[in-house]
Amino acid sequence: MATLQSTAPPDADRTPDRVIVRRKRTVGQRLRHDWPLLLLALPVVAHLSVFHYWPTAWNIIAFMDYSPYRPFWENPFVGFAWFERLFNDPYFTPALLNTLKFATLNLVFMFPLSIVLALAMNSIISIKARSAFQSIVYLPHFFSWVLVVTVFVQVLGADGLISNWIMDGGGERLNFTSNPDTFLLLVWMQWAWKDAGWGMIIFLAALASINPSLYEAAASDGANRWRRMWHITLPGIRPVIILLLILQIGGILSVGFEQYQLQRQSIGYQSTEVLDTFVYYQSIIGNQGESFGTAAGLFKGVIGLILILVANKIAHRLGEQGIYQKS
Amino acid sequence: MSTPSPRQPLRRRSLFKVAGLGAAGAAGLPVISACSDIESNSGSTQATEGFDFLPTYKEFPLPVEPNLVGEPPNHPSGFTSYPEPVQAVAEVPSGSGTYELTVPIWGDTPDGDDPYYGTVTETWGGTTINLRHADGNTFADTSVQWLKANEYGDAIAIFGWMLGSHSNFTETVVNNFYNLTEILKGDIAERWPLLARLPSSSWGQSVWSTDIEDPDTAGIYGIPMGFTGGPGNAVMYRTDLLAGANLTVPTTIEELLEVCRAWSDDANGKWAFAQLDWFVGQWFGLGGTDGWNWDADQKKMVNNVERPEFTEMLEFRRTLWDEKLIHPDAPTGTLDAAAMQKAGTVLFTQDNMARWNDYALQVKRGEAEGEINPLPPLGAKGREPLVYMNISIDGWTFLNKDLSKEQVEEILDVANWCASPYGTTEYELLQYGVEGEHFTLGEDGSPVYTELGSKLVQAPMNYKNVVGQVQTFLTGDPDVVQKRFDFHASVQEFGAENPFAGMRIEAPADAKAAGQTLWDQQNDIAYGRAELSSIPDILETYMNNGGEAAREYYTEAYKSVHGE
Repeated sequence: MATLQSTAPPDADRTPDRVIVRRKRTVGQRLRHDWPLLLLALPVVAHLSVFHYWPTAWNIIAFMDYSPYRPFWENPFVGFAWFERLFNDPYFTPALLNTLKFATLNLVFMFPLSIVLALAMNSIISIKARSAFQSIVYLPHFFSWVLVVTVFVQVLGADGLISNWIMDGGGERLNFTSNPDTFLLLVWMQWAWKDAGWGMIIFLAALASINPSLYEAAASDGANRWRRMWHITLPGIRPVIILLLILQIGGILSVGFEQYQLQRQSIGYQSTEVLDTFVYYQSIIGNQGESFGTAAGLFKGVIGLILILVANKIAHRLGEQGIYQKS
Repeated sequence: MSTPSPRQPLRRRSLFKVAGLGAAGAAGLPVISACSDIESNSGSTQATEGFDFLPTYKEFPLPVEPNLVGEPPNHPSGFTSYPEPVQAVAEVPSGSGTYELTVPIWGDTPDGDDPYYGTVTETWGGTTINLRHADGNTFADTSVQWLKANEYGDAIAIFGWMLGSHSNFTETVVNNFYNLTEILKGDIAERWPLLARLPSSSWGQSVWSTDIEDPDTAGIYGIPMGFTGGPGNAVMYRTDLLAGANLTVPTTIEELLEVCRAWSDDANGKWAFAQLDWFVGQWFGLGGTDGWNWDADQKKMVNNVERPEFTEMLEFRRTLWDEKLIHPDAPTGTLDAAAMQKAGTVLFTQDNMARWNDYALQVKRGEAEGEINPLPPLGAKGREPLVYMNISIDGWTFLNKDLSKEQVEEILDVANWCASPYGTTEYELLQYGVEGEHFTLGEDGSPVYTELGSKLVQAPMNYKNVVGQVQTFLTGDPDVVQKRFDFHASVQEFGAENPFAGMRIEAPADAKAAGQTLWDQQNDIAYGRAELSSIPDILETYMNNGGEAAREYYTEAYKSVHGE
């Protein structure tokens, strides 16, 4: 079997065994060299410090019987009493199970939908059709949940557009926006309309980074559209898929708040209560106080961290980059 | 490959291990959790009578006497004609301070540059009070955090019904608000004659204690809003729609159900109700404070959820749902029932009595048709009806504790001016605005809001609730005043006694949380998401999660007033 050999002349000036020694730069030199980058990073660091790291330190009130009217260190430490109350609350477990149910639904049916939309969008050649498609699937992301829920009630509600059409035709009213049995489907439809287009954007960016010559080479070798997608497109965006998957798994206990809170009264608390609404209703409306809510938030955060670490580890085992790599 | 320095105290992997340990700890908390007691949010009771530090009550002659004389507070007096207003405060003290008052608003925020504000400011002596409007629908809940963060300006208006959203409100009050006792104690009639004329019970209901166990720590922490009595709410119906369907006004629950059946037509978009939840309890005799009543026969505190009438009430609500007598989107809780009644698609609304007068004014302006009236007290199964009589102040204006004594006194000067009663020029300016701009005098000589006045003066709270007037009257459309006066007279015999009169009770946090769940479960049954047979389960859930503890709490409170 013939092998290709380089025809380039050997580098005459290269000294093969020469060791390049780089002098370690001092902190001052590095500052002088990298100050534009540091300056760019400063707002983000300030934002994270003020709105994330500093509030994170206040998680300590989950272990206190906290009152904002006492000097901070005079708040008595109560150990894990708030966590005990949280785990013993009869509504905590149902809320946790609902949260996991919605998160799983999102992971299984929404995450792939964004990929499918990105692939569909990528295959549209006409620029006009492409922008129209992008606008239709992308703009609903900017609607608030209040608007989304209102639109669904106006269209699919018992006194909504479709229901009245059905009634005019002699049928029965739709019972969709206040039916606990179909709430999962309703939630999925709302997600799909509001957020699938938004999720598509990152995948589109990843698709743009795939070298077009790969497609040309595959096409000239006779690969059809399906094989090109399977062997070039999907492997090309795999690192991004894995990255987003890990992040999504980490946020599995945070499925949102407004969507469930807004529909709580019409669907009933048993089907709509997720951890965030549980915290709101028990901690703020139910007057359990800041410590209780913080304990619930800390629980969510800790579980999310564990899931991210585990998912990242699995990603490494499978040869992916994950969200960070060992140094 | 880089080699970590052995002196490096924590490496990234180590950090993750620490985090992982913490995570594992949190996940296993139920096993290792300590059993420390949580003391906060355990509720409080506060006496509102019998203090010797309240302002000394001193008569202030009313500029004009009402022509309908009732028996206040449950049967208030009223005016069926508009008197020539006279000035109440002869010499207004000059003020130069600028303050910010946070108030709730329902609807659009008015234009702050309107002459109304400038004229009022100039007339009461120059003190500027800028209003910070916040959405009234969420005010109760969101104010919890503003207060804790001391981010509400110099003063905040809070209605009594909003206290349910606050945990340990006593702690909030004594730590946040100015203790007015030293300023208001004793004879204040010389500087603030109108504040001295406010009912003593208004001031008594503005008292909180830093230590509930110690009466000496009690003090006045709020400026009381209006002192009212009688039924504040009612189910209003369109008289013209009822008569148009050849139906008569129901006098019992059974008759009401028949009227609902006769009037509703789901297929054609007509329903008896758009919403019926918080009002319906009194039709079934379910009153009390937070649902608790003293049962003289059993000699124990009993919650509404334990009584057979509770089941009857839910059966009634469920019937409305099953027979399509209530709007199909009622479970959303977001329907504008008043607008639907105005449009004629809904017959009844559960309402505040103030809407009665508003609707009459809308009809006179040609913005609405027909007429609304309240349903009479209704009872089920031949039982005597029950009417909640709300003898209390509407709320308080609390002043920030960071104000100086001089600043507080300046605001009290303004409050004194605002306490002017009906029939004064101060009242007219505050309630109706500037003549020609915000109101005109109608044919009968009474003020009629212009479109601007309706939006800017009538609708929002503005300064009208900084303090209550020295006496509250029925005022407004003469026909409505007469009818409302008669209605108040007719319901007196059905007035429910408040077993906790003379005290303010804040339920323990557990009981409040359990109450929230109980409310959700009631709606589940009422809207067909759960069966009536689940009532024993919801009773058990409520009792096990704060209900039983609440029973003891309310029993102690009751016995502290009525003895063993």
